Amino acid sequence: MFSVAPTEKRTADCDVSALEDCLIAMKQQDLQALEELYGQTCASVYGFALSVLKNAHDAEDVMHDLYVTVWAAAPNYCSNGKPMAWIMTITRNLCFQKLREMQKRSDIPQEDWETYISGNEKMSPEDRLILSESMRSLSDEERQIVILHAVAGLKHREIGKLLELPLPTVLSKYNRALKKLRKMYGGEQ
Amino acid sequence: MKMREADEKTKIRQAYANAVPDICDAILTDCKQGKGKVIVMAETKKKKHVMRYIAAAAGLFLLLGCGGIGMKLYQFNYAVASTISLDVNPSIQITVNEKDRVLDVVALNKDAGIVIGDMDFKGSGIDVVINALVGSMLRKGYLNELANSILISVDNGDPAKSAILQERLTEEVNKLLESDGFFGAVLGQTLTKDETVQNQANQYGITPGKAQLIQEILNTSTRHTFDELAALSINELNLLIAPAVQEIAQVSSVGNASDKAYIGEAEAKKIAFAHANVSEQDINFYKVEMDVERGVMVYELDFTSGGYEYEYDIDARTGDIVKNKKEVDDGAIVQKPQPPKKTETQNTPSAVQSPGTATAGITLEQAKEIALNHSGQSAASVVYKKDKLDYHNGIQFYKIEFSSGYAEYDYEINSVTGEIMDYSVENKKNAAVSNTNSGAAAASITLEQAKEIALNHAGQSAASVTFTKAKLDHDDGMLMYDIEFISGGVEYEFEINAATGQVWDYDVDYD
Repeated sequence: MFSVAPTEKRTADCDVSALEDCLIAMKQQDLQALEELYGQTCASVYGFALSVLKNAHDAEDVMHDLYVTVWAAAPNYCSNGKPMAWIMTITRNLCFQKLREMQKRSDIPQEDWETYISGNEKMSPEDRLILSESMRSLSDEERQIVILHAVAGLKHREIGKLLELPLPTVLSKYNRALKKLRKMYGGEQ
Repeated sequence: MKMREADEKTKIRQAYANAVPDICDAILTDCKQGKGKVIVMAETKKKKHVMRYIAAAAGLFLLLGCGGIGMKLYQFNYAVASTISLDVNPSIQITVNEKDRVLDVVALNKDAGIVIGDMDFKGSGIDVVINALVGSMLRKGYLNELANSILISVDNGDPAKSAILQERLTEEVNKLLESDGFFGAVLGQTLTKDETVQNQANQYGITPGKAQLIQEILNTSTRHTFDELAALSINELNLLIAPAVQEIAQVSSVGNASDKAYIGEAEAKKIAFAHANVSEQDINFYKVEMDVERGVMVYELDFTSGGYEYEYDIDARTGDIVKNKKEVDDGAIVQKPQPPKKTETQNTPSAVQSPGTATAGITLEQAKEIALNHSGQSAASVVYKKDKLDYHNGIQFYKIEFSSGYAEYDYEINSVTGEIMDYSVENKKNAAVSNTNSGAAAASITLEQAKEIALNHAGQSAASVTFTKAKLDHDDGMLMYDIEFISGGVEYEFEINAATGQVWDYDVDYD
């Protein structure tokens, strides 16, 4: 019952089998497959990196490193039906590596996401509102959970594993985060 | 409710999707470049699971000579050919390409950030950049008459190229410093890839260059620990290695490190001789060198006179005696009766007194009195740590240890003759012992005077510093002024005795 449909109950656009196909094709050095993978996953990768690092420039760096890493590591990917969780785990590790580097250089990360989104013409006013609200009023963990679930389409259980949090914590944090975001939507309902 | 959540999720997803910068082309270009190398790297790394992929990628980045954004524009011109680091206390790392054009300048500590300021060096020639950075260090007071040493480390895969570049830069910097009216001291070295050095650099948050220099020093002398040396500035390290710089093959040295911040050898000698109550003519062996004790630069003096061997550590900034030791000199012709130290009868109990009972001579109380008289302390002002009959090499003696204030005294007194065989005084704080009991009185100097004393001691003027703290405080049962200020990224902390105006303790922090 739960194994047939390729998208399962995932709400995100990305399609598990399509992602796996991309990864398999990338083993054959297929750059087009990489491009497709990028298109399907970049919002999750970038969103997560931004939510951890809070700096657009560093998030872009991590995203860049992520795809180069995935490209290099694709031959080692074992198909297990969780390509997104795999990619997000690497993203998380790269983010932490970045944080460590910044600490070592005593580089105080500048939270520049506000200037970044105000200068991004692709975003609608509503997009900007959602992004800045999720950056501003959610805790780091809440925001990461929201992005992993709403954008990357990971299941709460997978999120718990990735962030090393118990499942009930993930659920309650997710619900609390949505409530917070709803407050700002209050007027529009 | 469910619909609402789905709707919300879509909106959130949309917002983040629109926020993503499009760097797909750059990534594709990089991956195309990296083709073929990739798999090899992944296999050579040992780490498990996902970490392996990351390690592989990290290795690949190194191979391509890119970090972060530089990678996007990766072409021949953007590959890092050499890494140059400058250490004074500000530590700066510069990467250049094959044509010695600067790719990036990274501040490795806070001071370095101040030196770099908002200068943008990308694409400039390395000589121009070094010129600007050294100029900035001079202007901002990181290089001055008191601390004139700079370390240049060059890392290029090709040792020959490293050497050429290093030589050129050393010369360049030396010229710069000379033209600024004082003599600089430039240490140059080429870096060799060494994992332990790299790890130590990471652990202590210093440049690989400084870590390698410290390692070199440790290789030639076992007196120090990495820990101790990592905290020193390049100038201090340069002073330490000065007597033996030729032994450190990897390092080329031009000019002499400044010791103007210190009291000088002559002064240290005077202090030690006065304390030991010996005159210069009576010295038959003498040696002095700079050393570091508990993070404090000291002059270490060894000399013999009148059958005794003296050892002094004198705080190089304040002239305080940090440690002194007087011992019967085994090697000298002694005019006193030879202590029976050398009797070879250790294992025949009948020939020596057995420990535990004083067979003849003086009592423990008498021994204590001898020690107290010698130290100039009174029984009321000291705390005994140890007082017992001990026995070594066939002689019986009282081992007496006591402390007074910060001073710790250690005596060995012959239980038969009452002679002081050995004694040492160690000052546990950088303050003169003689003033221990002078602080109970009320504050007799004002806060302003205390500030002035601190400024004079630090060699700063009121205009060039920002006070962060200045208040009267009770410390160690005495009235002290706590004074803290910052100048040019350096933090000074002083405790000034409010009764005497003496600098009781001070700390200079370069970070």
